[in-house]
Amino acid sequence: MSDLRSISRPDSVLEDPGTLAVATMYAQSYLTAASQSGVAAPEEELNSLVDDVLRGFPEFEQLLMSDSVGRDDKLAIVERVIAPTSSDFFVNFLKVLIRHGRFDMLPLVQNIATKLQEEAAGKKRIRVRSARALSDSSRSKIVAHLKSTFGFEPVLQETVDASLLGGVILQVGDTVYDSSLRSRLKQLKGRLVEKAFNEIQSGRDRFSHPEGD
Amino acid sequence: MKFRADEIASVIQKEIEDFRGQIQTAEVGRVIEVGDGIARCTGLSNVMSGEMLEFPNGTRGFAFNLEENSVGVVILGDYLKIAEGDEVRSRGKLLSVPVGEALLGRMVDPLGNPLDGKGPVITSESRPVEWLAAGVAERQPVKEPLQTGIKAIDAMTPVGRGQRELIIGDRKTGKTAIAIDTILNQKDTGVICVYVACGQRASSIAGVVEILREKGALDYTIIVAATSADPAPLQYIGPYAGAAMAEYFMYKGMHTLIVYDDLSKQAVAYRQLSLLMRRPPGREAFPGDVFYCHSRLLDRAVKLNKELGGGSMTALPIIETLEGEVSAYIPTNVISITDGQIYLEPDLFWKGIRPAINVGVSVSRVGGNAQTKAMKKIAGSLRLDLAAFRELEAFAQLGTELDKDTQAQLDRGYRMVELLKQRQYGPLHVADQVVAIYAGTKGYFDKVPVAKVAETEKELHEFIRTEHADMRDKLVAEAALTEEIEGMLKKALAAFVTRLSAKA
Repeated sequence: MSDLRSISRPDSVLEDPGTLAVATMYAQSYLTAASQSGVAAPEEELNSLVDDVLRGFPEFEQLLMSDSVGRDDKLAIVERVIAPTSSDFFVNFLKVLIRHGRFDMLPLVQNIATKLQEEAAGKKRIRVRSARALSDSSRSKIVAHLKSTFGFEPVLQETVDASLLGGVILQVGDTVYDSSLRSRLKQLKGRLVEKAFNEIQSGRDRFSHPEGD
Repeated sequence: MKFRADEIASVIQKEIEDFRGQIQTAEVGRVIEVGDGIARCTGLSNVMSGEMLEFPNGTRGFAFNLEENSVGVVILGDYLKIAEGDEVRSRGKLLSVPVGEALLGRMVDPLGNPLDGKGPVITSESRPVEWLAAGVAERQPVKEPLQTGIKAIDAMTPVGRGQRELIIGDRKTGKTAIAIDTILNQKDTGVICVYVACGQRASSIAGVVEILREKGALDYTIIVAATSADPAPLQYIGPYAGAAMAEYFMYKGMHTLIVYDDLSKQAVAYRQLSLLMRRPPGREAFPGDVFYCHSRLLDRAVKLNKELGGGSMTALPIIETLEGEVSAYIPTNVISITDGQIYLEPDLFWKGIRPAINVGVSVSRVGGNAQTKAMKKIAGSLRLDLAAFRELEAFAQLGTELDKDTQAQLDRGYRMVELLKQRQYGPLHVADQVVAIYAGTKGYFDKVPVAKVAETEKELHEFIRTEHADMRDKLVAEAALTEEIEGMLKKALAAFVTRLSAKA
C-alpha cells in the first residue's frame, strides 16, 4: 500500500471528511463498475499506476496533478502515454477523473479502494502502536488473539512510538484498547493522588469532629 | 510531629505492588480543525450528544454537533494547546461536575476546579451538568417565602421558595446588589446559596466574594465563576454547572437559592459557540434554541413534593438591558419564562431611590401565596397606594393648588417612597419590615420630615428591639399580625411617636 502524497501535510488533513467522502464515492464506483463489466483485479492497474508510474516519475505526476495544464491537454497525455499499455476500462476511469477535475485524488482513491477490497474479503485494518518494533512472535500472537476475539482477518498497521514506554495500543475502527505503560503509570498517578486527597481529608475530619480521636 | 519516611515509602510501595492497571477502552477520533474554543473531529463514530471528551493535554470538551462526517466539539479550557491531528478520547459519560458539602465556601470554575487557592475540592460525588428538570408530579406549588430582606421586594414582589424571579435592568442599576443582599439575608435560615458569575469582570467577582466573606455568608455559599476572560464554552455551561451543584442539596430536601449573574452574557457566549459551529443564526444572530437554552435551565428551579424531600431551588436570573429595552430578544424570552420580574430603572437610581425598583412594572406571579400573613395583610394595598401616589405626583408637578386630602396622600406617598429605600448590604428581618411598613401606611411617620425618615426608621427598629422585644419575638414566631400583636404594635408605635415629638 502506498503512502499518501504530500508528506509535509499530516494524515489528518487528508482525512478531511468532505474529500474523503468524494474519494470513497469514486473508489466504490470504480470497483462496482469493474465487477459489472467483468474486469478482474481492477486494483492491479490502479496500484501499478500510482506506485510505479507516478512515484517513479514525479515530473509526470506533477504534470497530471497541476492546475496549469488544461483538461484537454491532460486527456491527450493520458491518451498518448497510458492508453497504449492499459485497459480501456482503466483509461476511461482516468478520463472521468480528469474531466471532473479530481485527478489529484487518485492516491486517496487507491488507498480507499484497497481498504474496501480488504473489507470485502473480511479483513480489517488495525493500528498497532508499540514502544518498540514488534517481534514476529508477538505479532503473530496479536493477530491470533484479534482473530479469535473479533472474527475477522486483521491487517496490522504498525507504528513505533517510544513515548509509550512499553505495552501496546490497538485501534480497531474508532475504538482504542490501551494497555501501554504510559497510561498505566498515569492511572497509578491518579490513584496515588486520590489516595493522598483522602488521607488529607480524613486528617481534617479528625480535627473538625469533637468525637474523633 | 515528624514524618517517618520509611513508613510512607512502604505505603506507596504497597500501593504500587497492588496496582493492576486495566486496559483502557475508549472511542477515539482525530482533530481536523481547531479554533476559538471549538474543534471539529473525525472518528468518534459512536459518540453521544453532550458526551464528555478528552484531549491529549487533559483538556476536556463535549460533543456539541453530530454531523454526517464529523463531530463538533466544544473545548472547555485552553484550546491553544490542541493541534490538528491530536487524538480525542470519549469518556463514556456526560459532562459532570463535583457536588457536595465540600464545595460550600469555595470558588470554583464551571468544571468544579478550585479557583480560590484553598486546595483541591475533596468530594466523591458528581452530577451531570445537564439534568432534566423535575416533572409535574414531582412538584408542589410555591408556598414558602424566601425572604430577600429588601422591604420593597418582600412587600410588593415577594419571592417564594422554588420561584424564578428575574432581576432586569440597565447597567449600574443595582441588579447584583439585590442578589447579594438576598444571599446575605439567608444567613441562619439553612438556605444554601449558589452565585454563578457568568461573563462578569474578574474584579467585580472578587468584590462580591469579599463582601460575602466579610459578612460571613461564604459558609453557605458556592461561587461558580466564569469571567469574561474565560472561553465562551465555560461561560455557557457555568449556569448549568451551578444548577447541578444546587440540585445536589435540593434533592437532599434542603432549600437552595441560585443567582445567575447574568444570563444575557450566557446567551452571548452561546451565540458565539453556535455561530462557530455554523448553526444557522436567527433573530439578533442568536441561534433558534436560545429560548430552550434558558427555559431548560430555569425550569430546574422547583419546589419538590414531600416524597422527594420537599427541597427547593429558587432562581434569581439577572438580565442586563440596553437603554431600558425590554423588548429585545433575550429579555422578552427570559421574562416569559420566569414567574415575575423585578425591574430596575436608572432614573430612579440616580434620583436616589435605591433599590431602584419600578413598582409599576415589577411583578411576582406566584410569590403572593408565599408571603407571610403579616406581610400580606399590610402590603396588600401598598402597591395600589404607591401607583396612586405616582399619578398624583405627576399632577402635583404642574403646580396646581391641591385640596387637603390630596396633599395628605402626597405627603404620605413621599414618606412611603423614602421608607422603601434601603442601604446596600443591610437586609432586614421580615418582622422589622412589617413594623416599618405598618408604621408608614398607618401614618405614624406623617409628622416626620421627609429627609429624616430613614434615620427615624432606624431609631424605630432600635426602639422596638430594645423596648418591645416581646412583641417582635411574637411577630417573628407567629409570622401573622393577629389582633393581639397588632394591638401591641399600635401601642409601641404610639409610644414611639410621643417620644419623637418630645424630642422635637
